[in-house]
Amino acid sequence: MRRKQRTATAGVLLVAAMALTACATGGSDAADDGTRAITMGVTDPGTLTPGRQLVAYDFNMAVWAPLTFLESDGTLTYVQAESIESDDNTTWTITLKDGWTFHDGTPVTAQSYVDSWNTVAYGPNAFENSGQVANIVGYTDLNPAEGEPTGTEMSGLTVVDDSTFTVELIGPDSQFPLQVSQAQTAMYPMPESAFDDLDAYNTHPIGNGPFELQDDYVENEPMVVTAYEDYAGDEPTTDQITFVPYTDDTTAYTDVQAGNLDISSVPASRLPQADEEFGDSFYSFEAPGISYLGLPLWDERYQDVRVRQAISMAIDRETINDVIYGGAYTPATAFTPAIEPGTPEGICGELCEYDPEAAKALLDEAGGFEGSMEIYFPGGGGLDEFYNAIANNLRQNLGVDATAVPSADWAEFSDKRTASDIDGPFFSRWGALYPSQQATLRPFFVENGGCANCIPWYDESVKAAIDTADATDPGDGSAYADVQELILEEFPAPPLFFETYSYVTSDAISELVTSPVGNPRLTHVELAD
Amino acid sequence: MIRFLGRRAFELVVVFVGVTFIIYVMVFTLPGDPIAALGGDRPLPEAVQEQLRAQYHLDEPVWLQYLRYVGGLFVGDLGTGFDGRAVGDRMAARWPVTITLALTAWAIEVVVGVVLGLVTGLRSGGFVDRTVLVGTILATSIPVFVLGVTAQLVFGLQLGWFPIAGTSAGWPSAYLLPAIVIALFGLASVTRLMRGSVVDTMRSDFVRTLTAKGMPRRNIVGVHVMRNSVAPVLTFLAIDLGYLLGGTVVIEAIFNLPGIGQLLFDAIKTHEGPTVVGVATALILIFLATSVLVDLVNSLLDPRIRHE
Repeated sequence: MRRKQRTATAGVLLVAAMALTACATGGSDAADDGTRAITMGVTDPGTLTPGRQLVAYDFNMAVWAPLTFLESDGTLTYVQAESIESDDNTTWTITLKDGWTFHDGTPVTAQSYVDSWNTVAYGPNAFENSGQVANIVGYTDLNPAEGEPTGTEMSGLTVVDDSTFTVELIGPDSQFPLQVSQAQTAMYPMPESAFDDLDAYNTHPIGNGPFELQDDYVENEPMVVTAYEDYAGDEPTTDQITFVPYTDDTTAYTDVQAGNLDISSVPASRLPQADEEFGDSFYSFEAPGISYLGLPLWDERYQDVRVRQAISMAIDRETINDVIYGGAYTPATAFTPAIEPGTPEGICGELCEYDPEAAKALLDEAGGFEGSMEIYFPGGGGLDEFYNAIANNLRQNLGVDATAVPSADWAEFSDKRTASDIDGPFFSRWGALYPSQQATLRPFFVENGGCANCIPWYDESVKAAIDTADATDPGDGSAYADVQELILEEFPAPPLFFETYSYVTSDAISELVTSPVGNPRLTHVELAD
Repeated sequence: MIRFLGRRAFELVVVFVGVTFIIYVMVFTLPGDPIAALGGDRPLPEAVQEQLRAQYHLDEPVWLQYLRYVGGLFVGDLGTGFDGRAVGDRMAARWPVTITLALTAWAIEVVVGVVLGLVTGLRSGGFVDRTVLVGTILATSIPVFVLGVTAQLVFGLQLGWFPIAGTSAGWPSAYLLPAIVIALFGLASVTRLMRGSVVDTMRSDFVRTLTAKGMPRRNIVGVHVMRNSVAPVLTFLAIDLGYLLGGTVVIEAIFNLPGIGQLLFDAIKTHEGPTVVGVATALILIFLATSVLVDLVNSLLDPRIRHE
């Protein structure tokens, strides 16, 4: 009798096991019918809506078409826009190309853009990327500091006709055409159906771009996009892209090695060996990102400009780059990434060059450095080696008691930095979404510009100089040179590296191309035969 | 028996309330503002942050947040993560992966562990026994992380026997390699336990009596020794199943299996209170349930254990 019960228990367990495993089976099959299909490893996005996404840039750039596109040679081409013009850099008239449709067949009109941007800006929607439309007149009405918004539309947006609308900015800004380029996803249009149910739209977004999403987005499931038949722009070189979510980018990297995945970004831990392991299939794309060593300017020991200069000259950028990043980065020689047009490369001069003797002499001249120095950086992000190397440099070359200390996680770090609650040098970087010096200078050097306390030096003259450059730049970035001179004089923080975004590909891809935002250009992937 | 179950049910409620509250408070007191950190090094606009804080009630005191959370539980609402996704849905999507992985690993432990234990127990001191001993010591001493990455590189990348990552290949091929890696650790313990147990039982009086009576050895071992040896192993196996269902974060990450362990890990990183509490509570319930189950099964196997 008892024996029977035991068998029954085992039987129940077995059936349960089989039922459960049956649920989990049934994966996707690869397309083997001559379709030009590629796969790319991504982080599970969570949100796909352009105004909300935080880690779905590649997906967004495949499913939507931007108004403008900045090419690798620095020229700005028009995609969805026919023209973007202004007499005073404040009121911009955007004319759309005719005959463009969303994936649901509805036409892309001026109204689509105005409705989309209003939706992004409307405070109660809490769209994560609403900062991208913050310079349009009326944004503050939709996001009052106190109480409810007074309306649902920004007064700065006016529909002229089906294919024309005007945008009034809060001040003259010559860089506006760049602010509607490929990676500024909040500027993408959404079809009318989106506004009825934003949650449903996030599950199955409909864009105006070269690829359309096949099935509803399911967390951690691969997202398949296929070429949109009626796409009015340039035909992509592939028919299908599958975005495969990975929790660990090291796993994605290994999967590319095994040939199970076509494109993956390279985790920092693999940068030193990626070149050897992948050869021609390893790509380091110049990107509009720059890292600094932030200095706690609220601490009097860092008040003397010579101390800050000495710290900069004591850091061996070349060696750190070679050893830790496999030479993928470029030692910084200016205050904005070199890829941003007009960046005065080399303006930092000898201050960004490794010269331990001069550094020590300069520090002694400034009266030396009292006490210990704790370099604070966000833990858990693979940055330990980098900051340990900098601490070593400062200890050996300046004789300062320097150590690198990680935070528990990003949240703790960002809290302390925002609250000026750090008493040593700290992590500081910014990746711009469009390659204009404005997009790097504003976050770093204008209060509330984005990167709070990354460089805690907010000077009125710098802000005024940026404003002037914004208003007057002829389009080549030359107007920002004055700003960089002002920064050089004060030298508030040593710039460290111009960043690159690195990728590896499988044998199925013969050439991966990029654009100045540093991501692969998925419409232009060249496949091997 | 009914009183036993009633007492267990009461304990369950106490543990549930205590644990959920403690975890909620702990997540709440983690340093750093989760909403400010949401955008990574590209922080969200202040207005958006305010809106999100209000939306997720993060601007309220922790006890009110907790009451709101528990109130939601009664109507089946497990709360929402910071990207607006329902915690219940997220957990539902991930349990099948973790359960499949855990049961696969567990099945390996049960079958291989019990068989190895039996064999080595019957031939204690022999060549097989010593080989298995060395093997189990090795298996328990290598960190699971090293084992996972090595197995992935050797069997996935170089030999190409198994997929490297993901669940798309389905069961069993996508789950076999990670399951073996996880099972190795528990397997060693099961083998050792079972071996000791078998050795003890084989020396007991009733086995000698049965042998003297002329009962075939197959029957002695297959029925009597097995049944008497398996009780202590069973306790271990049940606890281990609970542990496996807790999601093995490291293995899930290495093999890119979107299971419950990953969810918990991500939620802790982003300080998502409702998700952390939801997953942790589910895990606690599983542990409590398996421990009740062990007690029940033990009493079936061994009539001397009675729950009055």
